[in-house]
Amino acid sequence: MESQGMKKITSVWIITILMLFVVSIVLGILMRLNQGGVIQEQTLTFYSNLTTHGLTMIGIWFVAGMMAVNYLMQRYVRTSFAVNLTALIFTVIGVLLLWLSTFAGKFNAAWTFLYPLPFKDFGASSWATTLFLISLAVFGIGWFIWCISLMANILKKYSLAEAFAWQHLRKEHKTDTPPFILITTVTLIGIITCLIAAVIIIVLFFAEMLSQGRFVNDALLMKNLTYFFGHTIANEMLYLGLAVIYELFAEVSGRPKWKTTWYVSLAWNCSLVFILTAFFHHLYMDFVQPEGLQIVGQLASYLASLPAAGVTVFSVFIAVYRTKIKWSLTNVLFFMGIAGWVIGGLGAVIDATITNNVVLHNTLWVPAHFHTYNAMGNVLFSLAFFYWFSTQSLENIRLSTAAKGLLVTLLIGGIGFLLAFYIGGSDSVPRRYSNYPASLKEAKPLALMGASFAIVYLIAILSFFYNISRRCLKILFASA
Amino acid sequence: MLQHELLILFLILAGIATIVFVYVFLSSWRLKEEGGGMKKPLKKRFWFSLILVVVLGIFATATLPRSPYFQYAHESPAKVIHVDAMQFMFYMSEHAIDPKLPVSENIELPANQMVEFRVTSLDVNHGFGIYDSAMHLITQVQAMPGYVNRLRYTFKKPGTYHVLCLEYCGMGHPVMETSFVVK
Repeated sequence: MESQGMKKITSVWIITILMLFVVSIVLGILMRLNQGGVIQEQTLTFYSNLTTHGLTMIGIWFVAGMMAVNYLMQRYVRTSFAVNLTALIFTVIGVLLLWLSTFAGKFNAAWTFLYPLPFKDFGASSWATTLFLISLAVFGIGWFIWCISLMANILKKYSLAEAFAWQHLRKEHKTDTPPFILITTVTLIGIITCLIAAVIIIVLFFAEMLSQGRFVNDALLMKNLTYFFGHTIANEMLYLGLAVIYELFAEVSGRPKWKTTWYVSLAWNCSLVFILTAFFHHLYMDFVQPEGLQIVGQLASYLASLPAAGVTVFSVFIAVYRTKIKWSLTNVLFFMGIAGWVIGGLGAVIDATITNNVVLHNTLWVPAHFHTYNAMGNVLFSLAFFYWFSTQSLENIRLSTAAKGLLVTLLIGGIGFLLAFYIGGSDSVPRRYSNYPASLKEAKPLALMGASFAIVYLIAILSFFYNISRRCLKILFASA
Repeated sequence: MLQHELLILFLILAGIATIVFVYVFLSSWRLKEEGGGMKKPLKKRFWFSLILVVVLGIFATATLPRSPYFQYAHESPAKVIHVDAMQFMFYMSEHAIDPKLPVSENIELPANQMVEFRVTSLDVNHGFGIYDSAMHLITQVQAMPGYVNRLRYTFKKPGTYHVLCLEYCGMGHPVMETSFVVK
């Protein structure tokens, strides 16, 4: 079961994540206010903030999923406190180095730092690119050790075939693999794969940097590697959230625990294949990419929705439909998060259709759909875990009127802020513009609309931050 | 515009999804005693998944052949335009552009005839996004150093078309634009 040390470190993770989340939201609001013409940031400041916002968000919601999975995994296998602490230290150092490179060094190549932009004169200090790459390496080392350690812990108890729940594909089997272990295995394998891609990117960057012109990278290969890493980690962090839902949803609802069946096993094994090949949809507009890979991109993007909808979402429907459930803030947040994930997925599938991508690629449609399944999906999964974790020892946690008000505020803020992105995308407004040209008439009012609703969303998040952090501080300073 | 139709499609699908989620939630929330859950869930799951497979299959079959890589694949363009992108401008010419001394020309293209843009970059990745006179994005391709992307398109309406950069390329990204005329 969960040790006292693990409870304390999980509390530190949660407080750290929520603090960084609030800062990142503020950066996002400042960007939208600048685009709306309300404030005037220097262009360099805008793009370094964009870089900080994107990478911090990806980083914190990735570690939010990892630390939740690590905490719950102790129910099945022993996990290492030392490795968890190492990951925390590496993450904090990584964030500090990243922020130093962006806030002080003005590194501004966005989270994609698409080769060869960091090598060209782009306004940053001369040391900023090196520091930025070092910060990524620090994240990578900490997270890689964490993933390998958790995977090794699983494999001490389950064989690889059992961890993938392959025995469930046969009619008769002696051992059962809990869905939590299956999903965590599939997700960790995906994360380890994309972290290896990240290592290759960093090595290739440094190789060119140190070769003084003797070695030059291939732009298409670097783009493929970048999106393989970025797309995969952004999706795997959602899957970490789903592992938590498979473990906790039934439990907090007062229902029997979910079990692995043949179709759950099949769906999650297929998910691994689809998620590792769907990233090609980021390169549709690179016509030199082999056509076969472009088709794989669309098919994998479509197919990825099948196990998600047919198994996970439908399982949630079965668990809830005409079933008496003990509703609390935890399972309501899980349920709302699933809805946000589905709706974001619809926007993603529309964009992943090549003929649509021609008019949507790199418009505001892109931040629209990924903010939907992050801000209204993955964030809610993690908030649900944070809330459940911080209230574990409390009895009779019901959905209070204040909690209902909080959810409504979150919904209003989230929907309004996302709609501004979707409408902007359909109006052909490009993403990543610090200021909009006058010819794009709808862009500024939409940016203002987005900023206003994002402030409402922030108010709801601040309330979560206050309540959850207060309880986590109590856990942190409680005597054993 | 396709993008407006896609927004409507998205809003309809998102609306249906919301209704389903609210309906399922209320079916539990309003229960006073055990309601018996979903009847024949495996059968319903099968049909739900099958419908999804069919719908996605139809979408894939209908859209993949119309992908830009296959359009005009066996036709010859009426005009070829060379495009070299560079922080933070586009060079466009009917002749091959010298990367050491790039120069741009005023471009006039024929309406209702297929033209080809040969797009590359002299430094970082850029996006070559073509907007019509009402500032609706009509087509695009990436400009990548070391590669030439060939974008083929037939302009139906005469007028001034604008080009915006659609890949973040540095601080001057939002001011990187040019235009050409279709007659």
